[in-house]
Amino acid sequence: MLDIRSLSKKFGAGNSAFHALKSIDITIEEGEFFTLLGPSGCGKTTLLRMIAGFEQPSGGQLVLDGKDIAMIPPNNRPVNTVFQSYALFPHMTVAQNVAFGLEARGATPSEVAGRVDEMLEIVQMSHLRDRKSSQMSGGQQQRVALARALAPRPRILLLDEPLSALDLKLRKQMQVELKRLQREMGLTFIFVTHDQDEALTMSDRIAVMEGGTLQQVSDPRALYDHPANRFVAEFIGDANFLAGVIADAKLGMAGQPPVPLPRNEAANGPVTVMIRPEQVVVGPLAKDAITLNGRIETLVFSGNDTQASVRLQNGETLRLRAQNNLHAETTLTEGQRLQVSLPLDALRLLPQEAADAA
Amino acid sequence: MPRSAIASERAVIRAETRRRWSLALPALTVITLCSILPLVVMVGYSFMEKGQYGNVEWGFSLEGWRAVILEKDFFDDSYIPATAHLTILGRSVALALLTTALTFVFGIPTAWFIATRSPSTRAFWMFLITVPFWTNLLVRTIAIQEVIRADGTLNRLLLATGIIDEPLQMMFTNGAVLVGMTYVYLPLMVLPVYAAIEKFDFRLAEAAYDLHASRFYCLRKVVLPLMWPGIAAGSILVFIPALGAYVTPRLMGGGRAMMWGNLIDLQFGQGRNWPLGAALSIALTLVVLGAMVWYIRRVAKGGESIG
Repeated sequence: MLDIRSLSKKFGAGNSAFHALKSIDITIEEGEFFTLLGPSGCGKTTLLRMIAGFEQPSGGQLVLDGKDIAMIPPNNRPVNTVFQSYALFPHMTVAQNVAFGLEARGATPSEVAGRVDEMLEIVQMSHLRDRKSSQMSGGQQQRVALARALAPRPRILLLDEPLSALDLKLRKQMQVELKRLQREMGLTFIFVTHDQDEALTMSDRIAVMEGGTLQQVSDPRALYDHPANRFVAEFIGDANFLAGVIADAKLGMAGQPPVPLPRNEAANGPVTVMIRPEQVVVGPLAKDAITLNGRIETLVFSGNDTQASVRLQNGETLRLRAQNNLHAETTLTEGQRLQVSLPLDALRLLPQEAADAA
Repeated sequence: MPRSAIASERAVIRAETRRRWSLALPALTVITLCSILPLVVMVGYSFMEKGQYGNVEWGFSLEGWRAVILEKDFFDDSYIPATAHLTILGRSVALALLTTALTFVFGIPTAWFIATRSPSTRAFWMFLITVPFWTNLLVRTIAIQEVIRADGTLNRLLLATGIIDEPLQMMFTNGAVLVGMTYVYLPLMVLPVYAAIEKFDFRLAEAAYDLHASRFYCLRKVVLPLMWPGIAAGSILVFIPALGAYVTPRLMGGGRAMMWGNLIDLQFGQGRNWPLGAALSIALTLVVLGAMVWYIRRVAKGGESIG
């Protein structure tokens, strides 16, 4: 539905030019909840603003339903935005805000009235239709902004960190509600956030961005289980990175004898081995695991689980999470010497980057 | 609550009230001396008898107010409506309205231009706008005279470029008065409008474009309504002094087209009719007050119907 083809954006010129986007390629499907995730300055907002029409690309195409829309001004694009600041018109009531997009396009008064009622119903704001935006809470403003952007029936709804100004509880609630709304309406959402939890819980697919480039595009599960590189592994969830060496389809690490890998996926040479803390097993495993000796340096109790930082014999540090189950076989104490096992199928071999040298 | 507690609480409130009044005293003194007292004097003068060589004489008289509305017929001493005063008032109001309109037309783009510069250059442009304020009104008016008089800068330029064959007569016309007034009062429009534009959140304009608004629709429905308080303040600031303007019409119009301000001046000067001058002044104040009440009500309502 939306084809982003080698889209790039350069601010400034010459040597001082800043490449906000470097040749981005994504295809977004109809009815998809698609999230652009990345730290601030990664280019996700620039990409969103380009889809909305507020920025012109320096190169590449933006093809919506087979038509290049890159040069069409924002008011003529079948795309609406929920802004981070909500940007509600302060001199208008809730109903007038929601009606704005329809009236600007010259809809008939009865058409506008019907659609406004419908939208206010959907976001449960009918009872506040005559309020001014300055007399509403953040959550209420958020709902109005959503209704306003949905009213003109966009092909794609763009959401620019819409939940970042809400407190945690309200944010969780709005996440669920947004997702439900998107499913029910079958609408395509492009959602920008820097919050990985938000991205994982809501999205059908996530594009992780950094430095103006795409790091990985996939569904939340695959993103978490099979990160493409160290940046993605680190940005989404918690990760241990250990040094390893591949030789003849065997992985050697932490001074242990090399173990044959189930799948021969990497070339010979040094690799970065990634394992999520919750995949680390306390105690030895019978097979298909690498077992290492270490000593618990710190323990952090956090309710449902305990996080331990283990110093391995070769000096590397490994973090693990153990569920606080009453019937767990072992209890952990600080300073305790123990064996930890890394199941082979939980290990991810990442290409070694310059920054991994340390 | 026991009675004594109520009494002591009242005493505290009284003390508090006294303290607040004493804090407001400096401001009240200034307002009384500079605003209320002169007004009282003028109202008083308007109800006194006129002295033979100007000034006023003690004694109640409605003669001053009578002369505002009615004048003695030249031939038979009967009273007829003072239509000349009405004409002058009409001319003054028209001039003030036109001045307000012109400062609006030139002031809005100027304010917009300044407010959309980078913060560091804004200060420079604002400085340029306020420079005329440091200059005496007379000097400013004579400066604009220099531009448009028969052998002034503009005529010489037009002659030199061959656009005209002989100098245009621009001085001492109604147009000249309007040019001078617009020039003098422009900053009073630019400043409040600039403040309104500077406060304007341009993300709202972005939201309007995103919601399918054309540039003009956005201007009409979002930008102007939010700038309305600034425009209203600017209009009032220009209209009121323009209505009583005296120096500029006199110098630019050459005293040919008399304005209300000149009429007042005449009574205190050559006319030697201070009560009439005072009555004319108060009458103008009442007209301004009426206009303001009407305007503010209309704007307040307008703001809501726009919203």
